[in-house]
Amino acid sequence: MNHFQQRRQFTFVIQQLTARELKRKYARSYLGVVWSILNPLLSMAVLSLIFSQLFRRSIENYPIYYLTGYILWQAFTGSTTSAMTALVDNKPLLLKVKFPMEIFILTRVYTALINLGYSLAAYVIMLAVFRVAPKWAMLLSPLIVLCLFLFSLGLSFMLAAAYVFFGDVRHLYSVVLTLWMYCSAIFYPAEQLKGFIYLVIQNNPIYVYIHCLRKAVLYGTLPNGTEFLQMLLWGAGMLALGYAVFHRSRNRMMQKL
Amino acid sequence: MPAQNPKQGAERSVPPPSGAEIVVQNVTMQFRRAKDEAASLKELIVRSLRGGNRYELFRALDHISFTVEKGEVVGVIGTNGSGKSTLLKIISGALLPTSGKVWVDRSKVQLLTLGTGFDPELTGRENVYLNGAIIGYTKQYIDQKYEEIVRFAELEGFMEEKVRNYSSGMISRLGFAIATARDAPEILILDEVLSVGDLFFRQKSEARIREMIHAGSTVLIVSHTPAVIRKNCTKAVWIEKGRLQAVGAPEEVCTAYEKMREP
Repeated sequence: MNHFQQRRQFTFVIQQLTARELKRKYARSYLGVVWSILNPLLSMAVLSLIFSQLFRRSIENYPIYYLTGYILWQAFTGSTTSAMTALVDNKPLLLKVKFPMEIFILTRVYTALINLGYSLAAYVIMLAVFRVAPKWAMLLSPLIVLCLFLFSLGLSFMLAAAYVFFGDVRHLYSVVLTLWMYCSAIFYPAEQLKGFIYLVIQNNPIYVYIHCLRKAVLYGTLPNGTEFLQMLLWGAGMLALGYAVFHRSRNRMMQKL
Repeated sequence: MPAQNPKQGAERSVPPPSGAEIVVQNVTMQFRRAKDEAASLKELIVRSLRGGNRYELFRALDHISFTVEKGEVVGVIGTNGSGKSTLLKIISGALLPTSGKVWVDRSKVQLLTLGTGFDPELTGRENVYLNGAIIGYTKQYIDQKYEEIVRFAELEGFMEEKVRNYSSGMISRLGFAIATARDAPEILILDEVLSVGDLFFRQKSEARIREMIHAGSTVLIVSHTPAVIRKNCTKAVWIEKGRLQAVGAPEEVCTAYEKMREP
């Protein structure tokens, strides 16, 4: 196979695997992929019902504020939790595939990205409903999503490698995610916090991504230099670290599997 | 040589120097097995703190060497847990041996095992495409061979149904049909596949294997049933507890194997 054919085959495999993940996800539901759109909307409705009164003064457009955080958070948790089990789930295929086994992790994260795409459709509709005017700064959102994607991919590599050795990682990670969610200011205004916890939130990569997207969508402002740097460094750094960890434990993983 | 299979960081697959298809040279595989495995994170932490992660070395393969010439049909026989599967994983490049070397051009290898990796929630058709893609068929190739695969697996009319409703026989038939759809893979590795399915399908699949052998495929059959080896192979390799017991004519090797099994 020459290089070109190999690339084509790679795309074909990714495409097949992704199609399978998407089909699986909604295999037993009637609405199918519509859930990817409905889920964020319903969640937004619920949270807005409860909290928009509470945060009326500090957040001017609560539904959009929440929805922005929620869809990014969902993309992040969806990709990392599903990618964590990717190797174990695909055990029978691991031996056969002619590509590096990273392909399974990449596929799961990519699938979550596609789901995010559907959610974004809901998001755009809501932007129109709540009369959020289009702004130039919104053009930055693909970059934000890309950074989030890299970050998730890097973390997924580490989680997937850890999960091969310890099944508990899954339970531990779900607890970590809960904590992480509360530290990401998804449904409350971060500015009201002070001290240590504020510092944590400021340096939480997920919060940085959410914050930058909110700023762009709601106020049309670009991230400042620090935020830019944070976004890029978290993304690239996590990917490099995750890949290195994964690469190093590869042979031991195969032995275990 | 095509740049293929950068898989698992294994050494680049190199075709053997002598003209043989597969050369296994002095391969030893050692697993580090914790005395009582720490299956949970907590256990691991507790134990590392106590400083007592004791390992024992388990030798799954112990200095195994043999060669497979082009066009040969070699049977690897041994009881369960003898190290056959580990050997297969090393030959297919999924595992790196602790020491020793394997020469084989991995782009030519087609591995067929019973755990087919079908997704139960997908239809038969979707699984054909998924599995085909995984083992390296292009989309056009699968399109072109699709009818033939279905016919061979005798699954006409079932392809739009989810695999979760298939019987185990149907699944292994489909797995076999997909893996052998390629005209003649140059190296075919069969892991316990010839001992399943009903009698008719077994005859049919053996015929298919023979066809491939005639077309010049080199075949490695792994099994714990001597009958399969006797019937199909030109050479047999017997591995027991990781050690090479015998290499030679199938008849002799199988007889020796059967003798060992009788108390």
